Amino acid sequence: MNNFSRERFKTGEEYSRALFFLSPFIFLFSISLFQVLNLTLFQGDKYQTIAESNRIYQKPISPVRGFIYDRNGTLLAENIVQRDLYVTPAYIEDSAETILTLSNLLDVPYELLEENFSRGIKKVKKFDSFPLVKALNEEQIAKAKVNLDSISGIEVKATLKRYVLHEETLAHVLGYVGDISSDDIKREKLLAELQNTQIGKTGIEKEFDYVLRGKPGIQTQERDVEGKLVRILDTQGAEDGKDIYLTIDQKLQDYLFKLFENRRGALVALEPKTGLVRALISSPSFNPNILNSIVDTDEVESLFSNKESPIFNRAISGQYPPASTLKPFVGLAAIENEVISWDKKIKDDGEFYVEGDPRPYRGWKENGHGRVDMRKAIAESSDVYFYTIAFDLTLAGIRPMLDSFGFGKKTGLTDFEANGLLPDKKWKLGYKGDFWFKGDTINLGIGQGYILATPIQLAMAYSGLANKGVIYQPQFIQPEDEKSFEPKKIAEIQLSDNKAWEKMEQALVDVISARNGTAHKIFDPNSAVIAGKTGTAQIKSILPGKEYDAIRENPALRDHALFVGYGPLEDPKLVVAVIIENGESGSEVAAPIVKSAINFYTGGFDAE
Amino acid sequence: MQNKPLSFSVDIKLNRRRNLLNFDYSIVLTVFLLGFFGLAMIYSASGSYTLVLRQAMYFFLGAILMITAAMSNFRKMEPFYLNAVWIGFFFLVLVLVLPNSGTTNRWINLGFIGFQPSELMRFLLPISAAAYLTRNPQIKLSDWIIVLVTTLVAFILVFLQPDFGTSAIVLLSGIMPIILSGLPWRFIIYSFLGGIGTLPFLWMSLMDYQKERIYTFISPEADALGSGWNIAQSKIAIGSGQFFGKGYMEGSQSQLDFIPESHTDFIFAVIVEEFGFLGALGLFLLYAFLIHRLLYVAKSSNSKFAKLVSATLSIILAAYITLNISMVVGIFPVVGMPLPFISQGGTALVVNMITIGIILSLRRTT
Repeated sequence: MNNFSRERFKTGEEYSRALFFLSPFIFLFSISLFQVLNLTLFQGDKYQTIAESNRIYQKPISPVRGFIYDRNGTLLAENIVQRDLYVTPAYIEDSAETILTLSNLLDVPYELLEENFSRGIKKVKKFDSFPLVKALNEEQIAKAKVNLDSISGIEVKATLKRYVLHEETLAHVLGYVGDISSDDIKREKLLAELQNTQIGKTGIEKEFDYVLRGKPGIQTQERDVEGKLVRILDTQGAEDGKDIYLTIDQKLQDYLFKLFENRRGALVALEPKTGLVRALISSPSFNPNILNSIVDTDEVESLFSNKESPIFNRAISGQYPPASTLKPFVGLAAIENEVISWDKKIKDDGEFYVEGDPRPYRGWKENGHGRVDMRKAIAESSDVYFYTIAFDLTLAGIRPMLDSFGFGKKTGLTDFEANGLLPDKKWKLGYKGDFWFKGDTINLGIGQGYILATPIQLAMAYSGLANKGVIYQPQFIQPEDEKSFEPKKIAEIQLSDNKAWEKMEQALVDVISARNGTAHKIFDPNSAVIAGKTGTAQIKSILPGKEYDAIRENPALRDHALFVGYGPLEDPKLVVAVIIENGESGSEVAAPIVKSAINFYTGGFDAE
Repeated sequence: MQNKPLSFSVDIKLNRRRNLLNFDYSIVLTVFLLGFFGLAMIYSASGSYTLVLRQAMYFFLGAILMITAAMSNFRKMEPFYLNAVWIGFFFLVLVLVLPNSGTTNRWINLGFIGFQPSELMRFLLPISAAAYLTRNPQIKLSDWIIVLVTTLVAFILVFLQPDFGTSAIVLLSGIMPIILSGLPWRFIIYSFLGGIGTLPFLWMSLMDYQKERIYTFISPEADALGSGWNIAQSKIAIGSGQFFGKGYMEGSQSQLDFIPESHTDFIFAVIVEEFGFLGALGLFLLYAFLIHRLLYVAKSSNSKFAKLVSATLSIILAAYITLNISMVVGIFPVVGMPLPFISQGGTALVVNMITIGIILSLRRTT
């Protein structure tokens, strides 16, 4: 114990030892001060930015989608209030219990709510709400509102949804809208900001989405750590979408749509002198409101799986053999290339033979039309006459004329239309793996074989006939003032003999007016004079030994009925292309619709 | 002087010329400054008048006790000093025995008021230890061993609560008087090495959340939304304060609750966010000044007891300040220690103020 004698203590050693054991803390203290210096001064800007992004939340404000009107200001598409049930995760204590309560209260399957809930909760912060049940009906709204207080975390919110007034009638023109998909965002990054906004998926809604949609506003909010709104720092209002006036004439559209009686087919009616589309129908149609506000997914599924393809827009995307409606253009090509003259007659005994080929090319009329010139060949739709001139013209003679009338390429009415098909040798070799035969040219002469055209292409091509070679850009957007409107010319076809236009028109008038005209059935001396052409598009070629009667047993293989015409002759107001799928007779089913369209358009409105 | 008995009862001569109120006012002023600043910061961090009011009441109580202690003559309190540690043990055992909600047993609830016995122990223990070690003119080895054993028991009781941070402080508060009283250096070195040897066992006895804090300290950014969140948000708050700060009540990190425990352990982050580097520097200077003045007693006193108590209490206070700040700025693991005089929390505030009072008294009377 001597070691610990009093002598070993020295006064002041406590203090020096205290300083010694204080030194690590002094060291840590100094480092801390340096760390504060480092964080505030050297990294201050970085942390400032992080702190800002912590607290600031930019909430997008959805703009109101623009309305769509027809040429006369008739409302076609508007927005209606839809009430949805929203839930806020932060205020829900037991999600399973809340879902069960809601399921019983609103009579919605538990599993559906559970799925909506687990999907929705991933997308939002705790204090943000998301829709659990969309489009509540009156009864559900009433029940939900009564129970708002007893079930915590639920609310009924109103959102605007697209509503199309004339439902089926305008479905394909207007198209439909939908929620923003991940594909949409990939294509257009700005869309990620627009929750709760609908964007156009097809039709006018898509084509002019940039006009209708408007610009979203932004509300700059300060939010706390849980995402709860503290205060609003700044609000930049949304710029609502602009309204659109379409060239469509709702009354004409409605009238014509009824004439289709749900038969499969399409119609395009446009003004030849301006290109303004007055009616565009694809039948059967669908109710776009089913898609504008998806409530029942089964309904949507059945719409898309329907074999009649009601969603498909036949008027711009349906590609059909133009059949005899192509004959005027082949005829003009023959005149222009001096393969034949207007007066030269060809004997049509119902069959056409190519040298060295025993197989006959048959006309639609068994014993033929006798000796026919161009005018009669058009009026009676002589196949043999056109076999002959097509054979003489060859493919190289026919194609340029068809090309200049717009066959085989988009008309530019919308971005979503089909090209049709104007075949050539290269195409056949590439797609069919075979050479172009004379027989292909002969078939092309009557609009059969490989050639395909859309109804809008046919209407546009006939507007060229009505305008003596001038074709205007078909369009959907109504000009502010029709009288001063200067339509965009997209083609001006020059013929060496300018009288050829009148002669061809006369032949087209004969189709209806002449006793033997293929559409003489619709002739009415009191109505406007119409020029037009029938067509009967074969779906299945008739093999030797087999008659058409056997084929037509199957309704899906029956010929398509076509008619394209314009009138009144003295001042053509409307060119109309109609196709009725498997309708068999152009004169019986398609031509009356064209006639009705022209009569209604030229007289119908004023009378009303 | 050197040959005089070291027992405080013999050693200390009260200077009768000195007035009862003749204490170091710079220390009192500093403590009041810190305390009032703390009240303001608690309001900014919590936005709650109730909390501020309660803390103000504790501050008032603490001030009374501090002045009382400063004016008292501790020579008359010898038996109390020697036995003070038993009060601490009583409450430490009580807190473990009493049923408590939650995972930790830290609080004794007296209905109207609650306090933490561990906070009490970390200032009663060094006083008793110093008193015990200096009760005779000569320290025997057995004295050191008895103090060490007592310290270890206190440490284990706090560790069992479990409260890692405070248990370390309690350990420090018992060991410092032993070391400062003249334990030979080789014993100190052996003990230090021995202490390192027990670290693995200590690690194994840590609760999961305590281990988690150490992992978090090692890489806070690895799990910025999980346990690293606290530190990450605290650093954002500090850094975004930049040089001048965002202004009182204007710190977005603290006002929007991004800083956890913003009115208690992490209040330093709120201070820097709202008052910037300048504010932090001011606070550092205040604390440095306070410790400096407190240590003056350890330096100038001629009583061994006074030296031991004031030095130990000063070191404990410095440890609290340093560990809290280094934890909040992210250079030390999160150990859950309040910032003296500023963090919301009654027991710590009152204990710290009594500590100051005792040191003031020692300074006045020796």
